[in-house]
Amino acid sequence: MSEAEQQVIFETWLGQYKAMIFKIVRAYALNPMDRDDLFQDIVIQVWRSISSFRNESSPSTWIYRISLNTAIRWIKRERRHAELNESHEAVRQVLMENPVSLDDRLAWLYKEIYTLNEIDRCITILMLDDLSYKEMAGILGITESNVGVKINRIKKYLVSRSKTFEYGV
Amino acid sequence: MEFDEMKKIWDSQNQVVLYAIDEKALHNRIGVKRRQALHITNVTELMLILVNGGVGAFIVVTNHLRQSINISLYLLAALLFGSAFYVLVNRINRVKGDNRFDRSMRGDLDHALSVATYQVRISQIMRWNFIPIGILVTLGIVEGGRSIWIAFGMLAFFMLTHYLSRWEHNFYKRKKRELEELQKRLNQEDF
Repeated sequence: MSEAEQQVIFETWLGQYKAMIFKIVRAYALNPMDRDDLFQDIVIQVWRSISSFRNESSPSTWIYRISLNTAIRWIKRERRHAELNESHEAVRQVLMENPVSLDDRLAWLYKEIYTLNEIDRCITILMLDDLSYKEMAGILGITESNVGVKINRIKKYLVSRSKTFEYGV
Repeated sequence: MEFDEMKKIWDSQNQVVLYAIDEKALHNRIGVKRRQALHITNVTELMLILVNGGVGAFIVVTNHLRQSINISLYLLAALLFGSAFYVLVNRINRVKGDNRFDRSMRGDLDHALSVATYQVRISQIMRWNFIPIGILVTLGIVEGGRSIWIAFGMLAFFMLTHYLSRWEHNFYKRKKRELEELQKRLNQEDF
């Protein structure tokens, strides 16, 4: 695949799926600097993955997998000093937050998702984005029944947590 | 709040543009990362192969030119060639095995864990390799009729290198442990 072809695919994917990546970034990183860092990591991994994409799954499933996988490992990764050597231009912020105020309930939901462990966060995002059990099992590499059991547990947890939001407990 | 309501709240963000992307900065960032494409494992392997092989060859050539029969240095060269060969064979096996993981998050984690296990093994072997190398270099110096203090200095240098290399080894071990935790969490069956 030529670099020009890779660039075209990348731009198409980014245009179509950036909203999905933004949600993942927001669920895994709390502050704007971290969000920018994670976003960059994800898009770079997406760029690199283009040459190995074989149309065995849809681009959205592929990008979910790459993005979530990058996010769960980004949390664990130690910040590398090597990156400080990059040129000033290269470390310029890529992601700019639009000054829109989020619905309180959405902010609460993100906060609750953030308290889950890395894997449960993946499942919650996929579940809220309406993916089927089969698609989730494909992305995560676990059985559909295991996905189902995890979803039930997460749903129960979120519903129980919502009481603290509704009643300010 | 019921889950269906949470779902509606979640979907509401699809109507709002939360972020804008600075395309130029993104392009530059990708360019920088592409130049850094040589992964740390690749660099470590290639360095080990080149340094071990190169130093081994240098020792053989200089020993041969001097027409001296310094057994310790020949043994050292053999050990270095052996190390370079070992890393080369492992590298070939690692690259061959890169495609055997399935295309899912579990497959990615299994792959990352396999690379981390490999890094732990190589760093452990190379760490302990410093001991016979240090001993053979010291013996070579003594055999060559140099001062005993130079020999001691060299031995101390290798011992220090062995001691310091545990940091690198521990870094890989920590990384591997973190991946194992993730894998365990993903595979865990909830009941």
